[in-house]
Amino acid sequence: MNWNDIATTLLIIAGSFFFLAGTVGLLRLPDVFTRLHALTKADNLGLGLIALGAAFQIDNLMQLVKLGLIWGLVMFASATIAHLIGRSALEQGQQPWEKAS
Amino acid sequence: MMLIYQLAALFLMLNIVAGMARVLRGPTTADRLLAVQLFGTTGTAILILFSLQTGNKAFQDLALIFALLAGILGVTFTRYGQAWYKQGATDPESTKVAAKEK
Amino acid sequence: MILLGLDLLLVIVLLISAWFALTTADLLHGVVIFIAFGLLVALAWVRLQAPDVAMAEAAVGSGLTGALLLSSLSAMRRAQARAEASKKEGDVG
Repeated sequence: MNWNDIATTLLIIAGSFFFLAGTVGLLRLPDVFTRLHALTKADNLGLGLIALGAAFQIDNLMQLVKLGLIWGLVMFASATIAHLIGRSALEQGQQPWEKAS
Repeated sequence: MMLIYQLAALFLMLNIVAGMARVLRGPTTADRLLAVQLFGTTGTAILILFSLQTGNKAFQDLALIFALLAGILGVTFTRYGQAWYKQGATDPESTKVAAKEK
Repeated sequence: MILLGLDLLLVIVLLISAWFALTTADLLHGVVIFIAFGLLVALAWVRLQAPDVAMAEAAVGSGLTGALLLSSLSAMRRAQARAEASKKEGDVG
C-alpha cells in the first residue's frame, strides 16, 4: 500500500461518513426545509471527497477532468434543485418547522 | 484496495435502502423528490467506485449521466408537479401536515 | 461476497420500488417512485457489466419516461378541468 492508496482510503471513508450524515438527516429531520439542508450539502461534500479519492488512482488527465466535471455538475444541479424544491414547498403551503416550546 | 471499494459501495447501497423509506413514507411530494435526489448522488458515488474497481471507464460516463439527470428531473418535477396541484385537487397529505402544525 | 450482499440489497429495493410504483394511489407519487426505480435498474445493469444498456436505461427509462409521464399527468388534469367547466356551463344553460 503506497501513499496514494492510503489517501484514497481515507478520502473514501470520509466521503462515506458524509453520505451517512446526509441519509440520517433525510430520515430524522422534521420537515422539508431541514431535510433539504441536510441532503443538498452533506451529500455533495461526500461525493466530492469520493471523487477526490478516486482522482488519486487515476493517471489520465481526461479522466481527472471528467471526475471534476461530475462533481461540478452535481453541485450545480443540487444548488438549483434546493432552491426550486424549497420554493415549491412554500407555495404548496408547507410551514417551516419551529421548535415546540 | 478492491475490498475498500466494495465495502464503500455496499455502505452506499445501504444508504439507498434507508432513503427508500423516505420515498415510500413521504409525507409530501417534495420529500419524495429529495429522496430521489439522494438516489442520484449516491448512485453517482457508487458508479465512481465501480469504475475504480473494475477499471471500466464507461462507468464514469454513466456517473456523468446520473449527475445530469438529477438536475433535469428536479426542474421538470417542480414545474409539472406544481401544475398538477395548482389546478383543482390539493395535496391531501401536505394539507394534513399544515393543519397539524396550526 | 460483499458484492453478493450489494446485489441482494439492490434486488430487494428494486422489488419494493416496483411494487409501490404500481400500487400507489396518488399518481404523482407513483411517478416519483417510478423514476427512483429507473435509477436503480440502471445500477442493476451496471452490476450485470452492461454500462451501455445502463446509459440507455438511465436516459430513456428514467429521464425521458419520467418527464413524459409528468407531462401527460398535467395534460390529464387540464382535460379534467375543462370537462368540469363545460359541465357547469351546461347546468346553467
